[in-house]
Order: sequence, then structure tokens, then C-alpha cells
Amino acid sequence: MTVMRDTVVKSLAKITVQADENGLIPEYEVLVNLLPVSLLNTFTERLLTAAPPEKKTEIEAGFVRAAYECGYHTGCGIITSEIFSEVVLPMVTEGEKDILRGAYAAFTAWGWAKSGIVQLKDGEKMIIRAFDYYDSESGSGGMSGFMLRGLSQAFFDLAYAEPYPDGMDTYVCVQTKGLEVGDPYGEFLVTKK
Amino acid sequence: MALRLDYSHDNETHRNYLNGQPVVMHSHHYLALLTKLVEDQDGINAAEILRDSVEDTMRAVFEDYIEKNGITSAQDRCNVGREYYSAFGLGKMIITGDENGGEVRLVRSHLDEGWVKKWGVHSKPINHFTCGYVAAMFAAAFKKPSKSYVVTEAASIAVGDSEGKFIVKAS
Repeated sequence: MTVMRDTVVKSLAKITVQADENGLIPEYEVLVNLLPVSLLNTFTERLLTAAPPEKKTEIEAGFVRAAYECGYHTGCGIITSEIFSEVVLPMVTEGEKDILRGAYAAFTAWGWAKSGIVQLKDGEKMIIRAFDYYDSESGSGGMSGFMLRGLSQAFFDLAYAEPYPDGMDTYVCVQTKGLEVGDPYGEFLVTKK
Repeated sequence: MALRLDYSHDNETHRNYLNGQPVVMHSHHYLALLTKLVEDQDGINAAEILRDSVEDTMRAVFEDYIEKNGITSAQDRCNVGREYYSAFGLGKMIITGDENGGEVRLVRSHLDEGWVKKWGVHSKPINHFTCGYVAAMFAAAFKKPSKSYVVTEAASIAVGDSEGKFIVKAS
């Protein structure tokens, strides 16, 4: 058996994160927030629109970095969580490949990106396709799948680089296609840095 | 008044909703790094862009709930924002004031506590996000247009204070 994506998506989509009496959501070894998509996309669009051309790349890298560090630290909490152990790990027969398949099912279930792996070469390369991702709607001009870029790099680091927390920045992810630029899907390529 | 929390999931797009509004989960690393991105910008008023983005988008979320639930009193309208703040996992507020302004105590804070977890105590307040949020909350409570309130962060958990304090003045 390998990871059955639909089963994982269905199981994980039922999970709702709710705040405690202090208005905080401590989960997966981090503090979680649950923010309106409109806020994140509006901020991205306005900041990139206000930036002079020579600063746009730096700001885009900042958005990717935020997603990357969020993904790397939260990702470690996710793949070692009780729910991941319960739902995904029993299906894992191909090591890191299956962990990554489970991770993309989790990204889908939790609304980050309806996405999956289309090509994976152990420790070398991964291609992801996404058919819905919220930051494609930021209207910032150009490709704007910053969240999935950061997450994909983070999870490839978690799977194939030095064990957490020493494997940061081993791999890099670039976006090669985007819904936001008229392509039928977003495509993301992870390779060694 | 207790905020009704209706969580739902679209099985086609797999997006998540809270009271009909699309929402997405992130961690304190994400919000701390977005704030640092703002702090690091020279020549663009990035902090103001963040405050305004939060004020405009949160106001729309509050007004949607207020309208759908027929909420009329200023206190109840203000409580929509206060309770959403906790539902979003952003922390816990205590609010005093009237339409001329007031004060918000932030007794717990996702962003400030997240910042300290990540980088330790900072040299100056960084919670531009909550400044915009409080502006939206007061404007929604008293049915004022956008940018009717100026919010200043007077104390901050991120700089080592025991709680945050936001001073609100009608502009």
C-alpha cells in the first residue's frame, strides 16, 4: 500500500483548529492562526504594488521565506503529530516519498493548495501541480504562488536534507506555471540549491 | 453576545471557511516574518500598508457578520471584532472606550508571543497588524468610515511588557 490521497484528504479535512480560552491555537509545536484569505491577498497585492521595481524580487523572496519557515517548523510538527501518525503513517511503504504524498494531501485538506506531486526523484527533484491555491488571487502581477513555493521547499528539506532543524535551505523551489498568469495549473519545481 | 463560529470545507476546491469567509491556517512564524518584512522595508511605508490592509479587510468581515446577524448596539458590534480576534487565534483583548476613542489591552498575543519565541524580546513595538485590527473594530462599532481612528501601540509584549496596550483616538 502507498498513501491513498483521497482517504487522507477526507480524514484531515474534518479537522478544525479552535482557539483556547486565551484566544491562542497551540498546535503542531507552534502557535497557529486562521486568517481571512482576503487579508493575506490584499496585503500581498498592496505591498508589491507599492514597491519600486528594484525591490519587488526582495519582497517576493520575503513572502516565500515566511511560507518556508512556517512550513519547515510547522511541517515538522505536522509529520510528527498524532493525527498524521494515525491517518498517514499506516499507509507509508515508500519512506520519504510517501511522507511527501501525505504532506501534499494535508496541504490540500487544509486549504493551502489543491496540489499533488507529479514527479519525484529521491533527494534530487520534485514537480508539484496545483489546481487551486489561494494566493493565485492576490492580483499582484506575475506569478504569486509564494505559499506553495515556500511549503514545497520546506517539505523537501524535511524529507531529504539533514534532520530537523539542521536541514534548512538545502533545496530551492521555483514556480514555472501559474493560474494567475493564465496557465491551466500552477507548477512548482524543487531542486538542490 | 457570543460569536457564532460556523466552520465549513468546500470538497471541490478544498478551501476552508469561517462564517462564510475563506480562511487559511498559518503559524506564528508566518505572521512574525510578514511583520519583519514590513519592518525591513525602507522607502515604502510598509507598516501603513499592513495596517490599512488589515483595517479594510477585517472591517468587511465584521460588517458581513453584523449585517447577517442584525447586530445593532455599539458594544455588540465591537464584540464581534473582539471575539473574532480570539477565534482567529490572535490572542485576547480587553476593550474600553466610546466613539471618541479608548484603550485596548492585549493580554495574550499570537504575534508578540510568536515574535519573542522566534527572535526574543525586540527593541520596539511591532504589532502593526493589531493597530489596523483595532481601527477596524472601533469603526465598525461606531459605524464610522475607514481611517476614522488613529491607533498607537503604547505597550508591547514583544518588547517585554506584561501586556500590550493600544491607544485609540478619533481622527
